[in-house]
Amino acid sequence: MTEREAFLDSLATAAKRPRHQLKDHPFKPLNDLPDTTLATLNDDDLFALAKTSSEAVHVDFQTTTKATLPQALDAFLTAKEAKTPLLPTSERFSEYGLESWRDQLTPTPSFWVPGAGREANIDTASHADAAIGFADYLLAESGTITIATTPGQGRAFHFLPTHYLAVIKKSAILSRSRQAMYRYEKAFADGSLTTSNINFITGPSNSGDIEMVLIVGVHGPLDMTYLVVTDM
Amino acid sequence: MKVAIFSTCIIDLMFPNVGAAMVEVLERFGCETTLPVKQICCGQPTFNSGYVKETQKVMHNEIDALLGVDADYIVGPAGSCVAMLKEYPEHLKDDPEYAAKAQTLADKTYEFSQFVYRILHVLDAGAQLETTATYHRSCHMTRLLGERTAPFELLKHVDGLTMVPLPHLENCCGFGGMFSVKEPEISRQMVDEKVDSVLSTKAEVLISCDQACLMNIVGRFNRRGEHIKVMHLAEVLNSNVDMDRVQYIDDADLVPGGGTYANQNQ
Amino acid sequence: MPIKTSEQPFLTRLAESEKDHFMQAAVAKAQDAQWDKRTAARQDLGNWAQWRELAEQIRQHVVRYLPDYLEEFADNVEARGGHVFFAKTDDEAADYIKQIAIDKGAQHVVKSKSMVTTEIDLDKKLLEIPGMSVLESDLAEFILEEDDFDEPTHIVFPTLHKNRDQIREIFHNKLGYDGDNDPQHLARFARKYLRASFLQADLGVTGCNFAIADSGMINLVTNEGNADLVMAIPKTQVVVMGMERLVPSLKEAEVLDQMLSRSAVGQKLTSYATFAGRQVDGESDGPEDFYVVIVDNGRSNALGGDFESVLQCIRCGACLNVCPVYRHIGGHGYGSIYPGPIGAVLSPVLRGYKEFGDLPFASSLCGACSETCPVKIPLHKLLIKHREVMENQLHMDHSFNNVLMKGIGVATGTPAMFRMAMGVDHAMFGPLSKQAPISTENFINHGGFVKSAPSLAKGWTDVRDLPRPPKHDENFRAWFKKHKSEASRS
Repeated sequence: MTEREAFLDSLATAAKRPRHQLKDHPFKPLNDLPDTTLATLNDDDLFALAKTSSEAVHVDFQTTTKATLPQALDAFLTAKEAKTPLLPTSERFSEYGLESWRDQLTPTPSFWVPGAGREANIDTASHADAAIGFADYLLAESGTITIATTPGQGRAFHFLPTHYLAVIKKSAILSRSRQAMYRYEKAFADGSLTTSNINFITGPSNSGDIEMVLIVGVHGPLDMTYLVVTDM
Repeated sequence: MKVAIFSTCIIDLMFPNVGAAMVEVLERFGCETTLPVKQICCGQPTFNSGYVKETQKVMHNEIDALLGVDADYIVGPAGSCVAMLKEYPEHLKDDPEYAAKAQTLADKTYEFSQFVYRILHVLDAGAQLETTATYHRSCHMTRLLGERTAPFELLKHVDGLTMVPLPHLENCCGFGGMFSVKEPEISRQMVDEKVDSVLSTKAEVLISCDQACLMNIVGRFNRRGEHIKVMHLAEVLNSNVDMDRVQYIDDADLVPGGGTYANQNQ
Repeated sequence: MPIKTSEQPFLTRLAESEKDHFMQAAVAKAQDAQWDKRTAARQDLGNWAQWRELAEQIRQHVVRYLPDYLEEFADNVEARGGHVFFAKTDDEAADYIKQIAIDKGAQHVVKSKSMVTTEIDLDKKLLEIPGMSVLESDLAEFILEEDDFDEPTHIVFPTLHKNRDQIREIFHNKLGYDGDNDPQHLARFARKYLRASFLQADLGVTGCNFAIADSGMINLVTNEGNADLVMAIPKTQVVVMGMERLVPSLKEAEVLDQMLSRSAVGQKLTSYATFAGRQVDGESDGPEDFYVVIVDNGRSNALGGDFESVLQCIRCGACLNVCPVYRHIGGHGYGSIYPGPIGAVLSPVLRGYKEFGDLPFASSLCGACSETCPVKIPLHKLLIKHREVMENQLHMDHSFNNVLMKGIGVATGTPAMFRMAMGVDHAMFGPLSKQAPISTENFINHGGFVKSAPSLAKGWTDVRDLPRPPKHDENFRAWFKKHKSEASRS
């Protein structure tokens, strides 16, 4: 018998319950609150709630249109006095009409590059003063952006740079975390998403560990901006 | 209606004034009272100390005594003791002889303020008390019995009485039954904070629906040489009563008790 | 450090806690602040009672089918190319992780806050490796580590007992910090120091808030983001998890993250909630080597018995934040890395009554813990259950003797004996009773009070005065009899 089997058998013995009963007793939630909570909000309600919730967690919540997106991003980099901006490698630049902005950006950005390896990408990210990333969804209830890791936008991309902005479509605003989970589970199931990591990020890094005084910016970015593209 | 008085051992042993006030208030509103003589104690001192086996006989005796008289309701002047009677069905669920009786007992038992407000539908008991007071909310009455409303509603309508909210209402006074004698080092710190909270209100009178908590808090007041007058809610409602002031409330207007401890926001 | 944090007797720990005025004030302030934040966050969600039922159901279901969920999770971790090790004891777990560190030639371990790694005393074990550095990256755990592994006093706020001056001192003495005591400055200093260490880390160790059975991912929540750096930078990650910390799928993880965040810190979600596993093809960072160590270490003692519901715990710490006993004695008073109500229930389950038999008695049974618990663990009832096991099954003697308590059981169950007691107590109390000073009204109504009593009542009179009981013919029953006979005459 393997060490695993012995361990699991010992639990079943201790519990006085046989193993392998789960397939006949799958989990069935006793209520549907995760689905029904905030379910009646329309798109405008969701947008308004997303703004309130985001600002409550110290996020700089901004909006723009697809046409003025490049200017909004430039304004962010200028405001943060970015000298070493970091961008992902992503097909979403074309989706957002940002390819020429990206190619002409000054100061010259560095990129999270698929295949460049752990050390190179982490080194790049750790020297970046401002990152601009693409988020998958924005959760209205909590002011949370969700992001699945991709080869062109790694895990540390969201944590090492000093300042951080996430670009998000207004149509990707969801009511709650449950709605995001459904979409990720579906994407896993149909093979459209392969990832090792999903981040739910709700405002900048913070801590209350010293006398419960709120300190913003401990390990992750010192501040966080959500830029919502209202016509996408 | 016929009411059996669940006197509780602490009232029997120590505080006749509270029992008398409760009986007088209940009779004033038309209750016919009896005092089952064989009753002793709800069993919490031993049960909560882990002497569960030894408590079986105590619970049996209490059930036999309280169900042994002809009564529509059983009413007691202590949220904690009443909550224990309400838990009898759980404690005796495997007892073939007493499980059903425990349920019968639990179903007709009420704490005094609860009974006055929810069953007698009294909103203004006609009492008058010219003073400033604060109210200590007992943990068991609040969280185990789930009654967070009745005493406050009744106190609101006492003529001349100014109620001052007690800071940190949610914190235990440090009584906890045998806890108070077994862990005096912790209990003292808890009751001291409670005494300080009461003093901060500058109230003349401390009111509660649990005489055991009051015995703890006011015993500490006396030890510290601090002044306070103590009154059980029954004594307050029995003060200078003028029946012309009495007001009743419709069923529909009753404020819910707040549910059991399992259903709170906090 | 292992579960037990102190060799001092309980009463000594209590006396030390009482002397620590900063700690007491800090705990009270934290409790009061959390009372408001937690309540607001729960009210904001709405339907709190029903959410609790759902959360309870999820946790009960997992505990009920625990071996099956563990099997599913382990299969999925391995399908992703990770490794799973099942450890019966703390030593088995720590030894296994030490061996991974040796095999990988790791020299720079970074950790994110994890109660279970504290429980298995992992830091000390890893530091046995020559040249090894182990760095706690959660700000509070980092402070404790730099303070020569001081004991945590809260499962969510481990440094609640320390003030900014003490933290400045620690940073100054250990790390050469020469700034002031401003928390912001202290935190910025720690950020810079820790960032450098993160970048050279070769082994990451994390705990696990929830393990997702159907995907083989783990879920971690933090506010600082340290866990994410631990999971991003080092080539190897070791996850250490209590064996009960599973959920069926991402959907249930999402529910419990909400319950945890609102209960622990009064936030809708913590700043970072991450669902992560072994690196997949094409990704640059994240662990190439992913190990999960599943720890029993006494948890199976609770399976199938009266204490099974303690395994529902999601470590939110809300029960500590409402506990009036914790408010005064703080974390160190309990002498366990798991303090407060959950600690008083869990510690004896994990390690027995010889070590932790005092803890279940350190409660007034006020029920605030049961009321606040987001997964509906009936904590105060489990404390009574521990007392029952000790008194009825193990016949342990707790400070005043069993004969006396059993005597009370007989007396309160026997009407004749109770009548006798009501008859003698006024007289019996006579010699002990004092007449003055009386500062209270309507309390000492029957001729004095007792200031110093023997035996069972000593604990009472150590703290408070006890009114002398009424004479037999003045007690409530006598009054009632007289009252009825007057009524029948009129």
